[in-house]
Amino acid sequence: MENGATAGTINRPAGKQASLTQPLLQVQDLHTHFFTESGTVKAVNGVSFELQRGERLAVVGESGSGKSAMAMSLIQLIAYPGKLVSGSIRLDGKELVGLGEPELNKLRGSAIGTVFQDPMSSLDPVMRVEDQMIQPIRMHLKLGQKEARKHAVDLLTRVGIPDADNRISAYPFEMSGGMRQRVMIAMALSCRPKLILADEPTTALDVTIQAQIVELLKTMTETTGSAMMFITHDLGLVARFAQKVAVMYAGKIVESGTVGEIFSSPKHPYTQSLLKTIPSVSGEKRRRLLQIQGLPPDMKLHITGCSYKERCPAASERCYTDAPELMPREGGQSAACWLKNGLMTEGYESITTLLSQGEKPEAKEGWNRIPLNGSVSEQPDSPGDDNVVLRITDLHKHFKKASLLPWKKGAEIRAVGGISLKLQRGETMGIVGESGCGKSTTARMLLGLDEPTSGRIEINGSIQIVFQDPYSSFNPKMKISDIIAEPLHVRKIGTKEERLRRVRELIKKVGLDLSYLSRYPSQLSGGQRQRVGVARALALDPSIVVADEPTSALDVSVRAQIINLLCDLKEEMGLSFVFISHDLSTVRYISDTIAVMYLGEIVEYGPAEEIFVHPAHPYTKALLAAVPVPDPMIEGERTIEQLRGELPSPANPPAGCAFSSRCPHVTAKCTERKPPLRGYLERREVACHAVS
Amino acid sequence: MKQEAVARAVGQPAVASRPRIQLPYLSFLYVNKNAKWAMVILLPILLITFLAPFLPLQAPLESNIRASLNAPSLEHPFGTDKLGRDVFSRTLSGIKVSLFVGMTVALISLAFGIALGTASGFFGKTVDRVIMGVVDIFLAFPSLLLAIGLVAILGAGTVPVICAISLADVPRFIRLQRSLVLSLKSRPFIDAARTVQAPRLWLMTKHIVPNTIAPLLVAASITAANAILIEASLSFLGLGILPPEPSLGNIIKDGQVYLQQAWWISTLPGAVILLIAISLHFLSDGIREALDPRARK
Amino acid sequence: MLSYAMKRIMQLIVTMFGVVTLVFFAIRMIPGDPAAAMAGDNLSGAALEEFRRKLGLDAPLWEQYADYLLSVIRFDFGSTITTSLPIAGLMLKALPITLMVAGFTMLLAVLIAIPLGTVAAFLANKGKKKLDNAITWTAMIVDLMPAFWTALLLMLFLSLNLKLLPASGAVSFEDPSLMLKRIALPVVVLAVSQVATLARITRTAVLEVLNEDYVRTARSMGMSEMVVVFRHALKNAMLPIITIVGLSFGNLLNGTVIVEFIFSIPGIGTLLVYGINSRDYPLVQNVILFYAFVFVAINFITDMVYKKVDPRVQF
Repeated sequence: MENGATAGTINRPAGKQASLTQPLLQVQDLHTHFFTESGTVKAVNGVSFELQRGERLAVVGESGSGKSAMAMSLIQLIAYPGKLVSGSIRLDGKELVGLGEPELNKLRGSAIGTVFQDPMSSLDPVMRVEDQMIQPIRMHLKLGQKEARKHAVDLLTRVGIPDADNRISAYPFEMSGGMRQRVMIAMALSCRPKLILADEPTTALDVTIQAQIVELLKTMTETTGSAMMFITHDLGLVARFAQKVAVMYAGKIVESGTVGEIFSSPKHPYTQSLLKTIPSVSGEKRRRLLQIQGLPPDMKLHITGCSYKERCPAASERCYTDAPELMPREGGQSAACWLKNGLMTEGYESITTLLSQGEKPEAKEGWNRIPLNGSVSEQPDSPGDDNVVLRITDLHKHFKKASLLPWKKGAEIRAVGGISLKLQRGETMGIVGESGCGKSTTARMLLGLDEPTSGRIEINGSIQIVFQDPYSSFNPKMKISDIIAEPLHVRKIGTKEERLRRVRELIKKVGLDLSYLSRYPSQLSGGQRQRVGVARALALDPSIVVADEPTSALDVSVRAQIINLLCDLKEEMGLSFVFISHDLSTVRYISDTIAVMYLGEIVEYGPAEEIFVHPAHPYTKALLAAVPVPDPMIEGERTIEQLRGELPSPANPPAGCAFSSRCPHVTAKCTERKPPLRGYLERREVACHAVS
Repeated sequence: MKQEAVARAVGQPAVASRPRIQLPYLSFLYVNKNAKWAMVILLPILLITFLAPFLPLQAPLESNIRASLNAPSLEHPFGTDKLGRDVFSRTLSGIKVSLFVGMTVALISLAFGIALGTASGFFGKTVDRVIMGVVDIFLAFPSLLLAIGLVAILGAGTVPVICAISLADVPRFIRLQRSLVLSLKSRPFIDAARTVQAPRLWLMTKHIVPNTIAPLLVAASITAANAILIEASLSFLGLGILPPEPSLGNIIKDGQVYLQQAWWISTLPGAVILLIAISLHFLSDGIREALDPRARK
Repeated sequence: MLSYAMKRIMQLIVTMFGVVTLVFFAIRMIPGDPAAAMAGDNLSGAALEEFRRKLGLDAPLWEQYADYLLSVIRFDFGSTITTSLPIAGLMLKALPITLMVAGFTMLLAVLIAIPLGTVAAFLANKGKKKLDNAITWTAMIVDLMPAFWTALLLMLFLSLNLKLLPASGAVSFEDPSLMLKRIALPVVVLAVSQVATLARITRTAVLEVLNEDYVRTARSMGMSEMVVVFRHALKNAMLPIITIVGLSFGNLLNGTVIVEFIFSIPGIGTLLVYGINSRDYPLVQNVILFYAFVFVAINFITDMVYKKVDPRVQF
């Protein structure tokens, strides 16, 4: 406690006279606990920091690190059974802890505005936008109905809602996700707050919309002078958006400093490892990703010593007994670690050697193909075109939306509008695109879950899938061993003993030990479940594995483990992968070729490296620009060319080129004629009139 | 020393969640609070009911005109009725009928509900349209009124009453099971099984039906409670189980005339119905809690 | 909206056609000779044949069925066996009384249950478990009390012991004050269980809404708890509540049969029980059919109200 005040300081502008300008927000030793029946969860466990006027602070952490609970503690809106236990929150010098509800209600919305994660659920569905916006304005700014409405319309215009005077009377369900998030931002800004809390405000949005919203938040804070606390798990967004960073782990801030300091010379082992585990969009390829071992601690248990000790390669005896406080380092940086430079301390020249790369499965003796009696392969490998395992020709999928009345014709949605692809043995193809681009529908057709409307799919061998959400892809009533054995069981392959042997082999292959076989899915962590998902996909010895967003439901530190696993398997077994994701850095890391989809069509196709370095289609360019890079230097330099507008509905695509409604280089030709997918350079294909 | 610590940290396996202890199947009865309450009420009732032949009680049908309308006493815990019959022993006999009706209706509803509801939800199209069309016709009647109508046709007695109540409850079960199946059908684990071309029978028996059992059991225990209430209502109206065979409903009906002189004849058996209904509701909450981890808070 | 209503009405017609068919054939499923069953033991030989002809039971089945369909459409159900009074007339006379009992009950129940359930949900959301538990438990127990038992208890206390309300006597629209007093006890009996059901549903619905993100948004804008609960939570919770109110009309109709029987009120329920006890099958058949019509109509109305209240439903 003796150095609490200084230790917690994130922002002491080095040169300026700190005594004159009182920080906007001072948080001291904040504790918020959730009193559940199975134990007390210490979600926020001693957090201290300061925030200056007009400053943008990013709070980074994995799920369960307490970052959201911390933000909600600031406005004391913690859902039962949570409770702010102790600590002090000073806004403009005024203590907020201990205030009664009426006083807090005067501050909520007016002094502190909040933007929540999911714009789909954060606005009242049965109330018009105006009814939700005007009441707080009238209450906090003491305006009449007319003035309040005018103010609200004004704000909506400023956050980029066209025709705000009419749109304000709309219900939330009549707006897209991006528009709703703009409404949320307008609401949060409506009573001129000094501080805005933004809790993962872009996580639920598509990449290009996310870029728009981040830009909007940035300009709005700059023009209004509000400070902002931005909660995220995306290090790229931090680099793009924040000035200061606080890294949270297990309910505590473990490191804080300016964006430059945190990214260029992180001091805490957790931050250091985290920055090394993400595949970077600009970074080198084909090196195994570094991975952090283990999982965050159970917050219900008492933690002695440092909460990161079990996962830290540099942990010493002391870390097991004494918890390090946040201690100042050079500049304004501070870190909670006994080692001055974390893993960069003398003796640990390179953290690469220290961070476990995850034991590569030692079973190097080779994978015995079809070890059981009976052939697994559906088709014998045809000798003629031996290297192509998957060929898609002019694949279409149209969904018919039934009309309410039998005599009216329903609308037709063109989910996939004619795609052709080829996949070589041992190759990984990434399919990228935003929601509604048809990538998941394509995957479902490949797997035979949906019947194509027209077109052909030829598969050499068999195809299996790894699902996005590992939990819901398992029957909760089945044991892990039965889950992995199911494909064998269904196909009646082998005897019971043979199947069991195979299951044991598979679970070892994905890096889990045999004890997991008798557990149920609910007893596994997300990463472990995804490993089981991979094991199940491998059971029938497929030639192709479709991975549909296999890492997006996982935490950053666990993602690397799964990506490494997939890369190992690919190398070892000569598997071909179809990797579907919106996470471009992961796709780049893992893929050999990439297909970019927009509204059910492929707009660009070619080798991954080439496309990432020299994108040709305007949409690919915009998509790559929209993805934030976890490097403040790069982010600071680039000027982002934002895409206009929203994704058009697949039920009503624009005439001509599907991208014409948003393309910055659109010409008359684009709206008249659809550009075909044509050869470009040596090995690429692009569908754009402007590219040849 | 540093190297040691490093080795220790790196060597730790990536295992975090501890295996939860698997409890034996019926252990929820004494583990969770709701189920415990259900047992606290239901067990003594069951015990006394089935030990009744061994207790020093007047037989349910035995009358004793000299002991007409006696107030509750040690000898007659629930008093006696106009004919001097022991209301307590008649009540115990009625409980047996009630429980039998409740159990049977719940089992019949479960069996038909699972079969027809699964078929309707799983196969869809014509099968679904036909089954749901019939279900809609039955659901157009308020449940007691449908049962009254059916009893009017089938006649009075235990078996007609069970048939009538079941016909009113089965459609509700079919609906429930159908909606459960529909929501399961689109779950990714069904897709996972479909990608290996699992046959329909496999999908139904391995994936769908096992996951509907928990909500069905919850509904079944509520159905048992409702069936007991409806049987009592029918017998009270003189349409269900007819005197002299005792049923909770007709005992209460008998007592209505003497409500002022002999309040015990009607009120005490009614309280027993209430207790049984409450315990079955606790049981359903208990099953819900035991089988659905999300309900635990 | 209109096209949706039309679609629903078409469905309703199909369902009601099925209901009529079911009712028609159910009666023909009486074990043995239906005519003999209806006549009881009094008739035999030629008299029985005469009786059979009078009921139209001698015609071929399809002819009987067609006749019945036509009679339902014309709202002409023939006359009762025992009294030879027109069934439609008897039902129309009994209907207002039943409707009045049901209507008052629903009104009373909604007025009490919705605030009660909302308060309970609010308490639960704030972690005030004890008060919430007290309300929830009481509601659960009351909900499970058999209607006829509640009726007897209230009769015992309110009319026999305290002499507050009459439990018997004439029911006539000519004397409104006596009429109201007369139906007070039945309404209270029915309302007690309706309140319990609706309060529980309201609590669940409001509690669920109070955990929604948009409620958090409203709170983050500094809205008071009153605004949060009544403007946001209750408004959203109204949708499931409307559905349940519609469905609980079924229970209410069940209940009217019992209270009418206990308090000897000459409503439709009493007519039904009379019909069964005197083996007047045409009467029973048509009264049950009539209940089904009422129930289906009420569900249709609640469905329409639901669609009207929810702005998300697009037509």
